[in-house]
Amino acid sequence: MSEEELAQFQKLSNEYSADQNTTGPYVGERQSSSAIATEYANADRVYQIKTAALPSQYAYFRTCRGDGHCGWRALAFTYYEALLRVGDVNKLEEEEARLQSMHNLLNQVGFQEHVYIDFAEEVYMLLQKLAQSLRSMDGNAENILLETFNDYGTAMGIITFFKLLASAWMQCHPNDFQPFLEYPLKTYCSDNIEASQAELDHLAIGAISNAVTKPAGFAIHVLYLDRSEGTSIDTHRFEPVDQNGMSITNGITMRLLYRPGHYDILYKAEDVPAPIQQQPVPAQAPLQVALAAGYAEEFVPRSNNMTDIMTMIPGLSYTGLSQQWPSVSYDYDPSPAPQPQLQPVPTYAPAPTPAAPVASSHQEYVTPVHASHVGHAQSHHPLRLETPITLPIHNSRPPPPMAIDCPAPPVTIEKGGPFRPSMYELEPGFGSGQLHHLPFQTSIFRNSHYNTAHYLNPDFQPEEWSPDSEYATGNRGRLKSTSQ
Amino acid sequence: MALSATRGANGSNASGSSTVAQRLQKELMDIMMNPTAGITAFPDDENMMCWTATILGPDSTPYESLIFKLSMEFGATYPYEPPTVVFKTPIYHPNVDMSGRICLDILKDKWSAGLSVLSVLLSLQSLLGEPNNASPLNGQAAEFWDTDPAAFKRHVLARHKAPEELDA
Repeated sequence: MSEEELAQFQKLSNEYSADQNTTGPYVGERQSSSAIATEYANADRVYQIKTAALPSQYAYFRTCRGDGHCGWRALAFTYYEALLRVGDVNKLEEEEARLQSMHNLLNQVGFQEHVYIDFAEEVYMLLQKLAQSLRSMDGNAENILLETFNDYGTAMGIITFFKLLASAWMQCHPNDFQPFLEYPLKTYCSDNIEASQAELDHLAIGAISNAVTKPAGFAIHVLYLDRSEGTSIDTHRFEPVDQNGMSITNGITMRLLYRPGHYDILYKAEDVPAPIQQQPVPAQAPLQVALAAGYAEEFVPRSNNMTDIMTMIPGLSYTGLSQQWPSVSYDYDPSPAPQPQLQPVPTYAPAPTPAAPVASSHQEYVTPVHASHVGHAQSHHPLRLETPITLPIHNSRPPPPMAIDCPAPPVTIEKGGPFRPSMYELEPGFGSGQLHHLPFQTSIFRNSHYNTAHYLNPDFQPEEWSPDSEYATGNRGRLKSTSQ
Repeated sequence: MALSATRGANGSNASGSSTVAQRLQKELMDIMMNPTAGITAFPDDENMMCWTATILGPDSTPYESLIFKLSMEFGATYPYEPPTVVFKTPIYHPNVDMSGRICLDILKDKWSAGLSVLSVLLSLQSLLGEPNNASPLNGQAAEFWDTDPAAFKRHVLARHKAPEELDA
């Protein structure tokens, strides 16, 4: 090697250490993966070919800072991200319980609890924060995740826990790992897994996938972008399989891009949820549940809510409602929630003249109603509710007294969200923690006589057989064959 | 051709030394609740970032019944970076140089956040009885250890100072 070449290499080396990989965020924002192809546009031909096809398959990527921890950081980050894609609070709680149950592995191989508990708590703290965010549907979970991983101390704690877990798993399953090693597993683990400077290796990914991600139903794909022969990037897969070797993922894959010495995170277009216009959805559970999914156990209609909603229907008024909307009380709730404290006023009190404007948000949508109006509204508005409501209701309580001059209950102001009259207007992801299955889908219901498809149902309509339509094609065929 | 890559703690915005202090506080509690024969460790002051430790030379080694004082300094990135550990008592040992600096893998690239003050001191104690002569900092000591135990022991005793002498 000539002096010049050496100088050239040294220059490249110096530039490398000042490369963006050693600065910048620990975990970057998600960006278009065309940047990778651009980066390699002037590189070796093998790289050019391999990266050219990348953006069409993998739409996005995320950088990790190349500080010697990028692989572990990418692995831990994508694990949390996969959990967010499940989008279920229960899953997060389940994972916390499962990881906690693995402390005995750590104890078994001799880690001291008072040492690893700090790292474990960082892991659980983040799970809890994300669960909290999902629960409140503030749409902030991704930001929390990114911020947490850009805090050096917290992220290192999380990484360290995964390292210790990988090491413990390997030492507890020596038959899976010792055959790959030329020296004792214990030494390998302390030197190449637990060591703070040790970067993620293939065995560690295997250990983490067996210990953590496969049981959670996630696959890990590692794409190896190197100078090996071929036109495509090799992918190593760590997928959960059943006893027959069939892949049983829940459709969520964590994707890492490995370039010699460095890991980044990759995404297919479908991995990334469409940007959701997140706005805080008020937790107005009772009413929305009633509209969307029948009756929840704890459904306690609150007359003040009802009234507020009804007043948003043009032409309806408080006075009209107060007589026609009885206190809906489903009596299977033995301890009904306390009724809102409204001042008892004569139920049929003619609306005070003129209707005193009430200082609450919904009033903006209601045209002021005059006393003279009210009578008409009752008699000719199409939305009259005069027919008695025939729900399984015991009208055990007197109709809730309602008065116009009563200030709007604070609850409507606090929650302040826009009323959504239809389930189809709920935000995407609304109630992602709960199941909204209609009862009609259960097999019990399908076989019961409450199902109109059941012959004991009074509305049962037998399917009529119309031979013409059913055998139309068959006849034609037969006609042909007979005519020959 | 090895390219020199910089890695590590340079300029890392650690989440502050308060969490480091908390961790060290826990380690201190552990050491005080479960005293280990032949090992002591205590912070120099209330900020917890510098400790003084002592280890007792293990039996049936040239260091038998000698007490060695060490200083331990913890950075803001502890426990993700190893502490800086130095022998304060002069020691004649193949893996320790004349200023007390130690060559031990777990204090360098094999450091793990799962280690602790106690595990470091236990490792150093066993290093006294089992030096790594393959990569000595003190070549003469490595040679005497292998060839002339009596001369080795003489050098150990000549170099050692009792803690009282050290403070004076």
